[in-house]
Amino acid sequence: MNLTSRLAAFSRQHSTLPILMIPLVLVGLGLSMFGSSLLVNVYTYFCVSLIMVLGLQMFMGNAGILNWVHIGFVGIGAYASGILSTAPLVKGMGVPNMYPALVELSMPVIPAILLGGVIAALVAAVIGYPLMRLSDFVGVITLFATLIVIHVVMTQWDNVTNGPRTFFGVQEFTTLTVALIAALIVMVVAYWFRESALGLRLRASRDDRYAAMAVGIDVVRVRYYGFVSSALIAGMAGGLWGHFITSFSPKAFYISEMFILLSMIVIGGSGSISGAVTGTALVTVAREAFRQLEGTINNAHVLSFEVYGLTEAVMAIAMVTILIWRPGGVVGGQELRWPLLKRAKRSETKEVEDGV
Amino acid sequence: MTMPMLTVENLMASYGVVRALHGISLEMNEGELVALLGANGAGKSTTLKSITGVLRPVKGTVTFLGEEITNRKPENIVKRGISLVPEGREIFGQLTVEENLRLGAFSSYQRDRYKADLKEIFELFPILEERFGQPGGLLSGGEQQMLAIARAMMAHPKLLMLDEPSLGLSPAMTDNIFVLIKRLQEMGSTILLVEQNAERALGIVDRAYLLANGEVEFAGSAEDLKRKVDIASVYFGGDDEASCEVPL
Amino acid sequence: MIDLEFLINTLSLGSLYALLALGLVLVYGILKLVNFAYGEYIMIAGYGLYFSATVLQLPWWATMLFGVAAAVLTSYLTELAAFRPVRTKSANALIVTSFAVSIFLQNAVLILVSPRARAVQLPPIFSKTVNIAGATTPVRNLLIIGTTIVVLVLMSLLMKKTVLGIAMRAAAEKFTTTRLMGVPANLVISAAFIISGLLAGIASIFWIGRSSSVDPITGAAPLLIAFIATVMGGMHSPTGAVVGGFVYGLLFNILSITLPASMISYRDAFMFVIVVLFLLFRPEGIIKGGYTEERVG
Ligand SMILES: Nc1ncnc2c1ncn2[C@@H]1O[C@H](COP(=O)(O)OP(=O)(O)OP(=O)(O)O)[C@@H](O)[C@H]1O
Ligand SMILES: [Mg+2]
Repeated sequence: MNLTSRLAAFSRQHSTLPILMIPLVLVGLGLSMFGSSLLVNVYTYFCVSLIMVLGLQMFMGNAGILNWVHIGFVGIGAYASGILSTAPLVKGMGVPNMYPALVELSMPVIPAILLGGVIAALVAAVIGYPLMRLSDFVGVITLFATLIVIHVVMTQWDNVTNGPRTFFGVQEFTTLTVALIAALIVMVVAYWFRESALGLRLRASRDDRYAAMAVGIDVVRVRYYGFVSSALIAGMAGGLWGHFITSFSPKAFYISEMFILLSMIVIGGSGSISGAVTGTALVTVAREAFRQLEGTINNAHVLSFEVYGLTEAVMAIAMVTILIWRPGGVVGGQELRWPLLKRAKRSETKEVEDGV
Repeated sequence: MTMPMLTVENLMASYGVVRALHGISLEMNEGELVALLGANGAGKSTTLKSITGVLRPVKGTVTFLGEEITNRKPENIVKRGISLVPEGREIFGQLTVEENLRLGAFSSYQRDRYKADLKEIFELFPILEERFGQPGGLLSGGEQQMLAIARAMMAHPKLLMLDEPSLGLSPAMTDNIFVLIKRLQEMGSTILLVEQNAERALGIVDRAYLLANGEVEFAGSAEDLKRKVDIASVYFGGDDEASCEVPL
Repeated sequence: MIDLEFLINTLSLGSLYALLALGLVLVYGILKLVNFAYGEYIMIAGYGLYFSATVLQLPWWATMLFGVAAAVLTSYLTELAAFRPVRTKSANALIVTSFAVSIFLQNAVLILVSPRARAVQLPPIFSKTVNIAGATTPVRNLLIIGTTIVVLVLMSLLMKKTVLGIAMRAAAEKFTTTRLMGVPANLVISAAFIISGLLAGIASIFWIGRSSSVDPITGAAPLLIAFIATVMGGMHSPTGAVVGGFVYGLLFNILSITLPASMISYRDAFMFVIVVLFLLFRPEGIIKGGYTEERVG
């Protein structure tokens, strides 16, 4: 094989990341130079959401299991990083009932975020042990119930989280640059994870659990590792988010936020990194647009009542429409590769098209 | 009337990306008993699934009694008069024998006829009367096979299709089933029989089709088939081409 | 501690939970759909009660019919509009669809009615109490027990004695084969949704009866109860769901009595941990049933 054809083959194989990363970097550069502060904020928020969705894709996309708890891990990371990095004085005022030992803690932001991810992963390691053993449908319900339990704990344990009240005073750290760099790193990690031995085994177990078991894959074990890895990313994403928004309450890590993450991954396509990126971008844009629209309607007072929930209602319809017409999401189960329009040969890999 | 009862033309079907049928054509006339033979994986069950609408064919047409039924829903095809005794019996294990039979009559239920039909079924299969109130799952394999056939007959099908009715049965039970199938034909049924037991099947059928790798390899009368094709090779040795390719 | 009052309490709570769980598991059995929109049928029934009583000023029995009808209609319409087109897609696609339907209905009510809770008037008998052999109990507790008995008897007659019921049981076991008997797929699925909506509507009357108000997220709590009761009792048969409902009611009451006051807000979390630990040892739940995991093709 000559050099050019080898190069072509190599670039086809590994063109996914550049295709996804270059536009992200360009838009980021453009916005940081010329964008309004609103746009910069939206883009930062997009990058942090992207990390959450990529973390979700790592487990849900590869294993095919609806992971409701994901947003809970995001919350655990946000609280952990907030508690670890906020100055004792600020915490003492903000969270009057906090355990003294926690008030004492104070470390720089970056290790706090990383440690937040580790704590989320540890929680995942404990609860994943029973959960990954359950059969599919029972598993879906239990994962959902676990999210509710995490939420109950967040709202009740006011010695740690300040209960249902806002936890504030978290240091601002996550700028556009930080968020973008983090998103790019996680994208590489998620891509590598998908192609790694673990990712391949997970995908095999998703496509046919029994066939995977027959070739010696320990389905429970690979799912467990996938679950914990995904929680690690979720926890760190939560930390980044916390240091972007600086104050939050348990509401931010619950069903309606999980719905947004799910809509991102479903609309884009959960089977691929490309799908996760596309979906996050589409939903972020749509969500901002509808938020503006809602604001305009409410400010204009043309209606006798205030419109809330329009965004969610429209997203829900969009999601069902996608599931009906293109169950694999806008992108589908295949990664985007160069050249964009030429489909990869069918025989190379057989992907399940409805990868949700 | 020369029009066949069932015409299958150039039927292609696949499971996902795997093509299982590469263009099957066959015909059945009213009153005929026809066998569909072939090795494991030849596409026999797939053909039946495509005819009954359980599987949507990729290409090709199925015409029944002058009406095209390709891509119709299974429930509508049953209503038109095609019943299938599926591979592996597929009786409802949680339902009683009575309930299994009642569902068999779902598409053409008339109270009086139902009672009469049950009587007839009990004459053919006395064991079902004994087990009438028991869950189907508690029946033995052979009894389940009888129940599956009885259940299909409750619909008064114009065309009855049986997918390997002798599978897993004792030789004596197999004999009974073959005698029964012949009797059903004599009583006026049109029957398409899928069988692994080719020699036994060729003993009772009028005509036969031989499938291999999703194509019709041979079609003709039972005698022709017996003469021209070495049945054993179909099932055990693969076809001639394949055996030529085996490296030394 | 185990006195008559506790018994009646447990039976009435268990009855309510059993109804909730039964409605959920009927659809699961046939469609293998874990229906996240189920709570919204309960919520819509609540708004039906509110609307017919406060706006239309109907008599109490008519408001109940109206509320139940609203739930049945919602259930059926969601089946037609959302679940039917997604039915043959992946199992997760179905579940995600039900989640989207749930979010849609919540927000539709938010937009069309109000985010604030609405007071629901129920007949005065709902708030009366009676004294039986020394135990004081709200009349509605007795009503729910009675209603549940009637509903369970009717359901069991329907499933055992009618062709539709037989077909539904068959479809839960072997969907494709049921169609090969000539049973239309849409018939059994629609029937399951309609009955599911009916049970949600009936349960809603009693659920709303406890707080006398309804808001857009009223459905969340009963949905979770139905979820946990079904996985505990066993998702593979209606009997499992009913048993799960009663066991859940019992556990709930025991925890309410035994947990110290400071821990009572964690009651749901405790419940859930117990259930998960139990599932580890018995993944099928209390009752092993006949539902298979064969999906609708
Ligand atoms: N559900 C399925 N999914 C994927 N492939 C299938 C499925 N069912 C059958 N096939 C494939 O389709 C081809 C034809 O199968 P079919 O069941 O029609 O064979 P058959 O002639 O009935 O064999 P047998 O005598 O063993 O029953 C085979 O290659 C088989 O592997
Ligand atoms: Mg077969």
